[in-house]
Amino acid sequence: MGTEELASDPLRFYTVATVVTVVVASGLLALLKLPGAWIPLRTWFVILPIALGAMWLGQGAWTVLVAIVSILAFKEFARVTGLYRQPLFVFLVYGAVVAENVFAFVGRYDVFMAIPTWAVLALALVPIVLRRTEGMLQWFALSIVGVVFYAYFLAHLSYLYASSLGLGYLLFVLLMTQLNDALQFIYGKAFGRHRWTPISPNKTIEGSLLAGATIILLTFLQAPIAFPSVPPLGVLAAGLIVTIGGQVGDLTMANVKRNAGVKDFGTILPGHGGLTDRLNSLMVTAPAFAHFMGYLFGGFPT
Amino acid sequence: MSGTRFEYEPFPDLDLPLAARLGQFPRQPDLFLDTARALGRRAAAGFFRLQFRIEVVGAAPDLPRLALMPNHQSHLDTMAILAALPERYRRRITVLAARDYFFERAPGALAANLFGQAVAFDRGAELAELRRWARLLPEIREGWFLLYPSGSRKRLEPHAGLAGVLARSGWPVVPVALAGTADAWPVGHALWRPFRRIRVTFGEPLADATARRLPAELLAFWEAHGRLDRIAEGDAP
Repeated sequence: MGTEELASDPLRFYTVATVVTVVVASGLLALLKLPGAWIPLRTWFVILPIALGAMWLGQGAWTVLVAIVSILAFKEFARVTGLYRQPLFVFLVYGAVVAENVFAFVGRYDVFMAIPTWAVLALALVPIVLRRTEGMLQWFALSIVGVVFYAYFLAHLSYLYASSLGLGYLLFVLLMTQLNDALQFIYGKAFGRHRWTPISPNKTIEGSLLAGATIILLTFLQAPIAFPSVPPLGVLAAGLIVTIGGQVGDLTMANVKRNAGVKDFGTILPGHGGLTDRLNSLMVTAPAFAHFMGYLFGGFPT
Repeated sequence: MSGTRFEYEPFPDLDLPLAARLGQFPRQPDLFLDTARALGRRAAAGFFRLQFRIEVVGAAPDLPRLALMPNHQSHLDTMAILAALPERYRRRITVLAARDYFFERAPGALAANLFGQAVAFDRGAELAELRRWARLLPEIREGWFLLYPSGSRKRLEPHAGLAGVLARSGWPVVPVALAGTADAWPVGHALWRPFRRIRVTFGEPLADATARRLPAELLAFWEAHGRLDRIAEGDAP
């Protein structure tokens, strides 16, 4: 396979790039003998084949994967906050997750955008139907967070697959967001001196800035494959969306954890925590990137 | 400013791996697992009835809480009792199963929990576990437990243990005798032998089942109603 052929097919390009990155990262870890870094890397050996495998299988498989992961991640959120003891609210959020992904799959942008409205209205009916007031504001509010972050925002990962411009958008935002998280951690460990937020005490100014610079550089390097028709200012904005948006998502869910008094959302991903701990950045970067690209550069069904 | 602060109440099992979560009692509400368990026990009972000729003698009493105490000779015993009961009773049952055998790994824990309604009993720390159950049992108003007082398929004689704790806590004890399961899936065999005859006999609740007399009364019932195949020592666990 030639370089040009690879460059014209984002899925092949990113699959090869991912394998190379993982191999290089494994080599570096073996060389540096960083304690505790093998466990999260081993988890990536499972996550990446599942995610890329679903993309190779096609839009249906990818959409099903996004829906299942969204439901399981919301379950974590509901268990952490205690919302899970309110099955009616939980069922409605699950319904919103399924509906969002179905309409992302069929390319009905109008319905995709309308579902959060209908879901919130349905949630508003729950206290009325149950004829209860105690705790209802809390459950209602947490359910709205569920609809927005787990149904609407995460379903943009399904929606990005529907772009007529190919899989470059989706692969870019998915892999760069995850790389941004990893780089913040690695740079923070290596060079971090100054903490910048009490919400997530492990975040350092050095880690965040260096990760941001690396992501922007990588965005320019892969722009010809991921989004070839986007001008340099748009490429810069895409890089900023990933690196800033990723931190916003991370801190938003860190805030939930601090309020609930837990360390992680779960244990399903050794070395990472729960699914929400891995998806929190994507919850912000996926919709922010999709709407930025869709509004300025098109490519999505309307 | 007045108002109510949000109060978060995370589930207590957030940090537990799946196998431990499946084995815990009391169970935490879980829409997925509860649904899977409802489907799993129906599927398992239906499959069991297709595989074996099951004969039910007597009936379990319709009490809000009770403890079923059968003899234990085969892996089929739990499924035989679940298949012998109507769904309205089956759904109430919690089976106590050895943590070291069923709940060390997720696949085994899933099978035991979803098809067999099992939770974990820690045989390795029996005294502490008995104390925990002794505190827990008086608070439980509804539910059926199924446990094997002999503790193992290789043991015939019941011992008081958790059975005694249940009796002391005022739980009605219903003796159950199983016949034919040892022949249908003998200890040490990799697979069961289909189409065998299995008989499940439900006794009357033991009146005044004191912990001291319980083993003898259970043994008498099992000997009267079950074909008790003594398992040769040295067979597979």
